[in-house]
Amino acid sequence: MTKRSWIWGLALVFACGQVAAAAEGEQPAEIQLPPVPTHWKAEKPVGGAAGPVTQDMLNVAVTPPDRWIQYGGNYRNFRHSPIKALTPESAKKLSVAWAFPTGTTGQFEASPVVYGGVMYVTSSYNRLFALDAKTGELLWRYDHKNGENLRLCCGPPNRGVGIAGDLVIMGTLDAHLIAFNRKTGEIAWDITVADYKAGFSLTSAPLIVHDLAIIGVAGGEYGVRGFFDAYDAKTGKAVWRKYTVPGKGEPGADSWAGDSYERGGAPAWTYGAYDPESDTLYWTTGNPAPDWDGDGRKGDNLYSDSVLALDPKTGNTKWYFQFTPHDVWDYDGNTQIFLVDTKFDGKPRKLLVQANRNGFYYVLDRSDGKFLRATPYLEQVNWATIDDKGRPVVNPDAMPKEDSKFRTCPSNLGGMNGSFTGALNPDLGLVFIPSSEACQVFTKGISAFKEGLPYLGGLPDTVDATAGKAYGNLAAIDVSTGKVKWRFRDNRPMMGGTLSTAGGLVISGTLEGEVIALDAKSGKVVWRFRSGGGMRGQPIAYQLDGRTYVAVPTGSFSTMDSFAAGVTKVPEGGTLFVFALPK
Amino acid sequence: MSRASLLLALVLLACKRPEPESPAQVYLRDPAAVARGRLIFVGNCGAYCHSTQNVERDAPSLFDCEWKHGSRDADIFHVISEGVPGTRMPAWKGTLPEGDADIWRVVAYLRSASVCKENAPPAPH
Repeated sequence: MTKRSWIWGLALVFACGQVAAAAEGEQPAEIQLPPVPTHWKAEKPVGGAAGPVTQDMLNVAVTPPDRWIQYGGNYRNFRHSPIKALTPESAKKLSVAWAFPTGTTGQFEASPVVYGGVMYVTSSYNRLFALDAKTGELLWRYDHKNGENLRLCCGPPNRGVGIAGDLVIMGTLDAHLIAFNRKTGEIAWDITVADYKAGFSLTSAPLIVHDLAIIGVAGGEYGVRGFFDAYDAKTGKAVWRKYTVPGKGEPGADSWAGDSYERGGAPAWTYGAYDPESDTLYWTTGNPAPDWDGDGRKGDNLYSDSVLALDPKTGNTKWYFQFTPHDVWDYDGNTQIFLVDTKFDGKPRKLLVQANRNGFYYVLDRSDGKFLRATPYLEQVNWATIDDKGRPVVNPDAMPKEDSKFRTCPSNLGGMNGSFTGALNPDLGLVFIPSSEACQVFTKGISAFKEGLPYLGGLPDTVDATAGKAYGNLAAIDVSTGKVKWRFRDNRPMMGGTLSTAGGLVISGTLEGEVIALDAKSGKVVWRFRSGGGMRGQPIAYQLDGRTYVAVPTGSFSTMDSFAAGVTKVPEGGTLFVFALPK
Repeated sequence: MSRASLLLALVLLACKRPEPESPAQVYLRDPAAVARGRLIFVGNCGAYCHSTQNVERDAPSLFDCEWKHGSRDADIFHVISEGVPGTRMPAWKGTLPEGDADIWRVVAYLRSASVCKENAPPAPH
């Protein structure tokens, strides 16, 4: 090889190397990011000055103002704060003390819980935050890594934690139940309640009774066999399971045609109630599956759309009452139940009352389940009337049909819905119920069941919502008579939770993004705050170091907003606002 | 082009078999099949997912002629059959009473009920 050849050869090799390097250089360098943390524990134990949460603390009818330790405020689900400082007059002085972003989209449906000066609040997609209840400082945090392809009919909410001893307990969308040390955020136990890929999920806060964490599954739109479970709160060990649909040969199985009970739904996705005096647990159940095609499941479909009274130690049934036998509208039975001791027709009586999703306000005797009264609490109810035994007399026009044109009221979401709360003021004898006023055309189709897939059988045409005709009310209802005393009307369905105070205030919010306070006696709005996010959360109140706070989770889920009320421009994104009265 | 080449091209063109008609196109001419496709859609797809009112939710409207995963009948069939990973759209293969034939009937129904103009009124169903 000549000298010139060597030079050309070297030049060629160099050029090729440059070309190769340039080509490689077009690829972005791989940046190694550290894994995103999902669990931040407390730097030092928090809330330690307060001892463990005991059964005695949970039993009291009136929870002290320095805490809010149950989703329902107390076992009777009053969501009524004893704070007298929160009045229609003082509400005008509420101002933001602090706010906190969840960093997630989807509906922010939680009720915060406060104990030992610490607030425990969950977000959509199962984030759990421990916050200083006075300042909002983040103390510890856990972001649950849910499994892929969750089976969720209606969004990714979580409605809060239960507190048992020194543990806070959260259910997850992938059907885990997880307990955390409330002081540190350390995980104490983590169990799988069900296989989420079969259609199960957990969205409710657990109810704590006798050191048992009781929680039920969602999945009525997937043809699951519904149930609720009791777990040893200290260890997570399973104690009992209550199926809401009977098995073969069990009582109630003959209320299902053929083997339809095997995929009968009847989820137990909301929160129960407990009467310490009689040691009775009350739990409600949801729709039979498939939702809108009852042809294959002829019969009453027990124990869907019901309330069950049980022994909390064993899960054995004491009595049941079914609100909507053979439901073909997805009316569920699991809106909030209130346990009230009051006069009924002039005589003292222990009542269980509920504004059912089907549009009727029910009054039962909670000692034996006897039906006492049902009255419509909505302005539009046409699917049925209720006879003197409590059984619906169904309007044939309202039955889903292949070519239905009939506007049936209420919509499948209700009325009231189990995803938000009402409140009860025992001094006024009024229960405050947010609701949707919308009708739908229920259409029946062809059902197809496969485990883990939607099992619906029809659809509710959202004709009112699409036409912009869906609206909402917050109604004050006489606890005993069911008569509506006043209504506050909003242009969109009222789907935010409710708080009542001993000072005569009611606090709730709108889908358009306002927190509102009303005079409990008149329904007059006395204060508004523009939160920006639609309200789907459950407000609470508490007092610490002489200062009064109101915590309101805001942030909605566009898909359900559109379903309920028509297309919305309100953006998603959870924000917790905490308001305070001046010292 | 030589005369022979031209002749060959014409022969090949004449022999080219037409694109086979999709089952959905066959069903489109059968009102009973379209009606069944509608009932399957109503029974499984339209409640909390695909609006029949041409309203966009997190699941897209299927009546506006806008397709995210291909607009051929076969593309729509494939999406229904196999699902869309990472979304709420499950795979319906092997689920419907009459199998693939029912999926094609759903495709036919969607074609029949779509309104492609802007400001489309609610889709009939």
